[in-house]
Amino acid sequence: MTKNIYKLHSDLKGKKISSLELTKECLKKALASKNNSFISVTEEVALIEAKLADEEIAKGGLKSTLHGIPYSLKDLFITKGIRTTAGSKILFNYVPPYDGYVSSAFKKAGGVLIGKVGLDEFGMGSTNENSAFGIVKNPLNNNKVPGGSSGGSAASVAEGSSYFSMGTDTGGSSRLPANFCGLVGFKPSYGRVSRYGQIAYASSLDQAAPMANTTLDIACVMEQITAKDYHDGTNVNLGAMNLVTELLSLTEAHIKGKKIGVSKDLIDGCAADIKAELNKALDHLKKAGAELVDVSLPNLKHCVPAYYIIATCEASSNLSRYDGIHYGLRKAHKGNLEDTYIESRSYGFGDEVKKRIILGTFSLSSGYYDAYYTKACKVRRLIYNDFIESFKKCDMVFSPVCASTAFDIGVGPSDPVQMYMNDLYTIPANLAGLPAIALPYGKGADGMPTGFQLIGKQFGDAELLKFGHAFDISNGRMTVGGV
Amino acid sequence: MEAALKKYDVIIGLEVHAQLATNAKAWCNCEITTHALENTKVCEVCSGHPGTLPALNKRAVEFAVKMALATNCAVNPLSYFDRKNYFYPDLPKGYQITQFEIPIAQNGYIAIMDDAGLEKKIRIERIQIEEDTGKSTHEGESSLINLNRCGTPLIEIVGCPDIRTPLEASSYLKKLHSVLTYLGVSHGNLQEGNFRCDVNVSIHPKGSDKWGTRTETKNLNSFRNVEKAIEAEIARQADILDRGEKVIQQTLNFDAEALKITVLRTKSDAHDYRYFPEPDLISLVVTEAEKEKWRSELPELPEAKVARFISEYAIPLYDADVLTNDKNLANYFEVVAKAHKGEAKKASNWIMVELLRLLNEFNIGVEKSPVVALELASLLNAIHEGRISGKQAKDVFIKMFDEKKGADAVISELGLVQISDTGALEEVARKIVDANPTQVEQFLSGKDRVFGFFVGLMMKETKGQANPQVANDIMKKVLDSKKE
Repeated sequence: MTKNIYKLHSDLKGKKISSLELTKECLKKALASKNNSFISVTEEVALIEAKLADEEIAKGGLKSTLHGIPYSLKDLFITKGIRTTAGSKILFNYVPPYDGYVSSAFKKAGGVLIGKVGLDEFGMGSTNENSAFGIVKNPLNNNKVPGGSSGGSAASVAEGSSYFSMGTDTGGSSRLPANFCGLVGFKPSYGRVSRYGQIAYASSLDQAAPMANTTLDIACVMEQITAKDYHDGTNVNLGAMNLVTELLSLTEAHIKGKKIGVSKDLIDGCAADIKAELNKALDHLKKAGAELVDVSLPNLKHCVPAYYIIATCEASSNLSRYDGIHYGLRKAHKGNLEDTYIESRSYGFGDEVKKRIILGTFSLSSGYYDAYYTKACKVRRLIYNDFIESFKKCDMVFSPVCASTAFDIGVGPSDPVQMYMNDLYTIPANLAGLPAIALPYGKGADGMPTGFQLIGKQFGDAELLKFGHAFDISNGRMTVGGV
Repeated sequence: MEAALKKYDVIIGLEVHAQLATNAKAWCNCEITTHALENTKVCEVCSGHPGTLPALNKRAVEFAVKMALATNCAVNPLSYFDRKNYFYPDLPKGYQITQFEIPIAQNGYIAIMDDAGLEKKIRIERIQIEEDTGKSTHEGESSLINLNRCGTPLIEIVGCPDIRTPLEASSYLKKLHSVLTYLGVSHGNLQEGNFRCDVNVSIHPKGSDKWGTRTETKNLNSFRNVEKAIEAEIARQADILDRGEKVIQQTLNFDAEALKITVLRTKSDAHDYRYFPEPDLISLVVTEAEKEKWRSELPELPEAKVARFISEYAIPLYDADVLTNDKNLANYFEVVAKAHKGEAKKASNWIMVELLRLLNEFNIGVEKSPVVALELASLLNAIHEGRISGKQAKDVFIKMFDEKKGADAVISELGLVQISDTGALEEVARKIVDANPTQVEQFLSGKDRVFGFFVGLMMKETKGQANPQVANDIMKKVLDSKKE
């Protein structure tokens, strides 16, 4: 069985371990990491929080399943008093004056923050190679990328320096790294987790997305971050999830009778080794009692261009605030306003970010808006409709996460369009606002982890997590009752 | 401009930005005030920090809807917020949240009086909710940014080009202003920038049905300046057309001191604002129930008040119009008129002439008047009851205003008790008549002018405290008795 938060929670409860012991062990791994997982290791904060957790636990028991548990945050989450960079030079010195929703929620739950982890700048990338703070390496093979953009999150959990990490997912940014590092990655339904204090890349697609070793861990995290937050107008009021107890009672039998939608086209696009593993996974599900039904998602083939228009349009606007005036990096050699903007942004942003700002600015400009932005929004609606149609026949849709295992560092396609095509499988859930879980299953020809994802109905987050947990049990990664 | 108006027709359209008097800013809980130290009414949201999101202040929606209902607009049950993108240091997000595609309300009108005194409807194209920017101050080489104003909710009221003269423009603005302040949705303080106006002007030769190219003059902050700016712009455009040249589409600035128009920018270097739907805010829904609740909360509006004042207080249209322009003035009038035992028209005269003159001279709003309404009523009652004369009352009023004292206190302080006691006055009259036989002779021989001499002596004897009308009557009676 994989080490998991619920087990640690039980050990903390039974006084078998202390939060300080767990924390020191994680800090040691974080500080000695060869994977460049962290942008900032928050050693002092972690030790204070761990001691506090131990005191609280000794006095009054555990506040939550995350009480005393070491975790990391993608450096896109705002942390009061702790530098938050978004992986960008333009925020190299930015220390936020406030706490975001997610960081507040974890403080309240009693989590122990080990540090802020690496990412593709502003969440833009699939490999973690686009960072002002260096490439994060895949802990399972240092020649490989950990995936992106939440690469540091995946690496920190995979290397054991955190027990869970909060990533974000705009077009697959948590599911892809989870898939490349053998973890579970979960993108909640759009609106399920407040985005307040999550540095925006593309507002209508961004979601906070936890990564951990097991689905049960994810459920522990989701319980703490799903309260209604009035700071975010797009946050739905469904109440905090109350799921862990239910998960603990589930067995493999939960899979039985569930209808899994499968689109052959999606699987056929993958590399041979991945295809083989996906088919094995389907067999596994079938044997466990799931019913496989054919579904058709004809508009998915348009998802990449639609995504890259909508995401870059929103990004071009969201990133306007980094102008060198109010905070962050300022370059002002010539002294006048326009040059300050130009110099600060030219020096502060990396190439991929600049490329996307230019793309978005172009797509929104007068005369092009309808041909690009409006059209992309229409495609987005068609993709959503494809899912609605599919869900008439099934409970969830089965899909690859990526056509291959983790890429080698530095050998990504030189053609950006081909690079963007890697997001083909993960983007649809973001465009449609649906929950999706990436589950590890099997290994590719190179021995690197692979897996699959399940896309659920809107706000069917709990159903997806229940199914994921049952699959973890059937796959031997988890036991009934969690411990 | 006079010459220009003989040759050209003028088309004017106005856009008004009114700050909403909500308890907090549009997207956060920061206080809205112009009287705070720079950058102290600011949080992470209104200063555009990374990761922040706007959370809509529902009060701003209520206020916008109330204004829409009061100006006969159709309220859209579903409207949207959009982003208007441009870089400027007092706009820390790099975009302004506004309503572009579908605003909260459309297709309304308000009625004004045109230059001939006839009612005219000015159509309102749309009302949209948006946010204010911060303020930039340029000092030599450096610029200072104050974000206290940033994120204050505004409504932009876009009027149709239905206005034809500078005076109509200011009437329209005054009417909008009074509706806003009646509703209490805006403080409407022009000096503090609560109410700002952009003016679009074009002219074309009389008889032509093809309108000319329009220009936009930005950020005018007084009714008078709007008139002056339009006059200056009409003259400028007429001059261009007279020379056989063409007006170009430009954004202009009006220097109210020099009465001069200068060019801010021309169309070719206009911004491309790259509007698109604001993804951080969901669509704005106004339910029928909300709309009807807000409609039921609307106070009596200027138009209704004018009608009521005319019928209830029997004052002329002109008076009713002046008094209702400002809600506080209207309230003041009503208090005075109700407590006054004489005609309401007297109260109206005193308010429009004496009170407003002093208030304007000292630039005081009626709500802060040193003479409160009930004290003015006491003063008017003293006149009505014949206790003091109208002439005395004016001196009393000035002292009340200067020293913030009540009417009765000032009257007794000045020893102004008018003698209307006919017995006492008759005695005085007889003494005067007896002491001046020569003048009596003259009067009796038909020299009526001498009558004034007697009345003058009577006022002198009574130290001016005799009721002039009573004194007149008694003196006449006493003199007439000598005729027999």
